[in-house]
Amino acid sequence: MVTMESAKPLVERFQFLKDDWKRNTRHLSNVAQISLVFSYQNIIGMGPAVVPLILKELEKEPDHWFWALEAITGENPVGENEAGDLEAPARAWVQWGKQKGILAR
Amino acid sequence: MNLSELFPSLTDENHEITSPASIKYNCVAWAAGKTNHGWQPGVYWPIDSSREDHGIGNPVAAFASLGYEEWADGTLEPGLEKIALYGTSMLYTHVARQLTDGKWTSKLGQLEHIVHSEVDAIAGSDYGEVIQFMKRHLETRWPKR
Repeated sequence: MVTMESAKPLVERFQFLKDDWKRNTRHLSNVAQISLVFSYQNIIGMGPAVVPLILKELEKEPDHWFWALEAITGENPVGENEAGDLEAPARAWVQWGKQKGILAR
Repeated sequence: MNLSELFPSLTDENHEITSPASIKYNCVAWAAGKTNHGWQPGVYWPIDSSREDHGIGNPVAAFASLGYEEWADGTLEPGLEKIALYGTSMLYTHVARQLTDGKWTSKLGQLEHIVHSEVDAIAGSDYGEVIQFMKRHLETRWPKR
């Protein structure tokens, strides 16, 4: 029987894609190269439903999720002084998620 | 995935790991001698740039602003500090900096620094190939007082 990856439940599919993305990009520095990986593009394609999962992931481990979050939400809560880092933008996005009621305060 | 899976030309003999992994900064920052930010075009970058400009010309211009000029090769030359910019046809991917013994130091994304004996030890991977060497006089980095 042929099963489509996209038919998997949201959380399971996100975990699979996230693990694939992290495994294949830990050694990369250019955020464009990191974001062009197929699994990352797939996550963006999952749309707003995946935002809470990304934010929870950012709470656990800062990583290059900012491009995806901005692409999906059209927002960017990262201040100019927080750019160029992973931890400060991650905190800004988590705070944004709490203010929006997406994450528990 | 270990380093030899990520970099097929890397062997136990041609590299050593020289730091723990860190998400604080990336290869471009490390090549520039900085460890307080990750350097990304349009985000944290020494020259004005759009976030979308990831071609090799952008880091070439960025390092030119730090006193480097384009150079033909990466052979060790006393008094010169050299960097190697790696890339594919679309993107820059990595920057390595030459040490005074002729070896190269690289920060591998969010992973460790390594010292590699040949500049090509990390080529032929997701990093593509060395596209451009640049050099500056060591006095540029450590000006005499």
